[in-house]
Amino acid sequence: MTDDLFTPTVRTPSAPAKPPWRPDSIVYPAFFGGPLAATVLGLLNGRRLSLTRTHLMLIAVAGIAAIAARVVFVATTGGNSLGRLSGAVAGLLVWLVVNALQRRPFRAFLQNNGEPASLVWPGVLAAIGCGLAEAALIFGVIL
Amino acid sequence: MSGLERAQALLLANRPEDVLRELAVLPATDAVSARAFHLRCAALVQLNRWTEAAEAARHGLTAGGPDPDLLRLLADAEQELGNLEVAERAALDGLALDPQDIDLLCCYARICMAAGQVDKAGKLVERAAAIQPNAAVVYGARVQLAFSRGDDRTAQRIAREFVAEYPESAAAHALLGGTSALRGQVNAADSGIRQAVAAEPTVDDYAQLAMETKLAKHPLLIPVRPFVRFGPVKTWIAAVIVLFGLRALGLYTLLLVFSLTWIALCVYSWVVPPLVRRWVTRRWR
Repeated sequence: MTDDLFTPTVRTPSAPAKPPWRPDSIVYPAFFGGPLAATVLGLLNGRRLSLTRTHLMLIAVAGIAAIAARVVFVATTGGNSLGRLSGAVAGLLVWLVVNALQRRPFRAFLQNNGEPASLVWPGVLAAIGCGLAEAALIFGVIL
Repeated sequence: MSGLERAQALLLANRPEDVLRELAVLPATDAVSARAFHLRCAALVQLNRWTEAAEAARHGLTAGGPDPDLLRLLADAEQELGNLEVAERAALDGLALDPQDIDLLCCYARICMAAGQVDKAGKLVERAAAIQPNAAVVYGARVQLAFSRGDDRTAQRIAREFVAEYPESAAAHALLGGTSALRGQVNAADSGIRQAVAAEPTVDDYAQLAMETKLAKHPLLIPVRPFVRFGPVKTWIAAVIVLFGLRALGLYTLLLVFSLTWIALCVYSWVVPPLVRRWVTRRWR
């Protein structure tokens, strides 16, 4: 009996140079740091999870769109508390894209007995570094 | 009762270390029989000693020729060791002997899940379910499949069905506990894992899961529970609605208090869980 299901298809995934972070955890730096932090961490984690080029591009596009939207929003409303809130909202939106694309590959990584890396310090660094860079871009250059 | 029979009984009683002890004192002719290697391999799998389990399975295959059960144990062990291609080869060799073996079908499905081939895994599980829909191994594979798809709600529902069908099964309770934990239901998670540990206190994996769920119930983590239970998006939408509600009503003092509490809670839910984990696990060691 020839059976498509019983033909070998499995490739042992090449062990990532660095283990990925939990995609769920990226929500925190995304919230505090804004869309740039979410995009940077999403792309780095995408590399660690061996995402396809298309999926990495999707994260990049979502990130650029979110940053652009935030810039336009702040430029039209002025730099008030709503402007700061918009950073958190835009960051969360980017995280939604990142999480949707990374959830499945990350589950496969876990089923392969993988131990995820800790995002605590990289997350704090990204939130502060990217948050400041984004603020400098918006309030220094554009406004 | 012969030594092999005693070892078999000990294996069924979940006493893998005693199985190995029993096998060590077998007479020479029995000790190199295919059955002895089979029991040894199964005991080593229970003990999570994967390298030795794979070795025992290979010895058994050499001694007794191809055997679906041994090939499955070999596939399980190689998968745990991360050698997915070797594991697949063993599973396929087993399926060539018996294409209707539900244990092998589910074993191969797990290998596909670990390789990220969820769709193929789904078809394999479907086939096993068509043969024996109420088998424990099929329930387990369906829960794992839903987990791989990222669908925690379905995973928990199937785990519930599993427990209803096999109320005595430690694996079923552990899966219900684990899937409840994924959905942030800390009390359900804890009770599921507790029942698993009670049913099979010697299984290391359950004891470890129990540590996790006990951690999730830590009093310092109570403020974090809404985030875990409802996920960040729903919690956040709720917070934004409250923020704008207070603003619209002109309650600016309350708005300030709420915003500050909210920010503090967000920082707390980011920083405290890893600290609690480090602190508590250190104390347990």
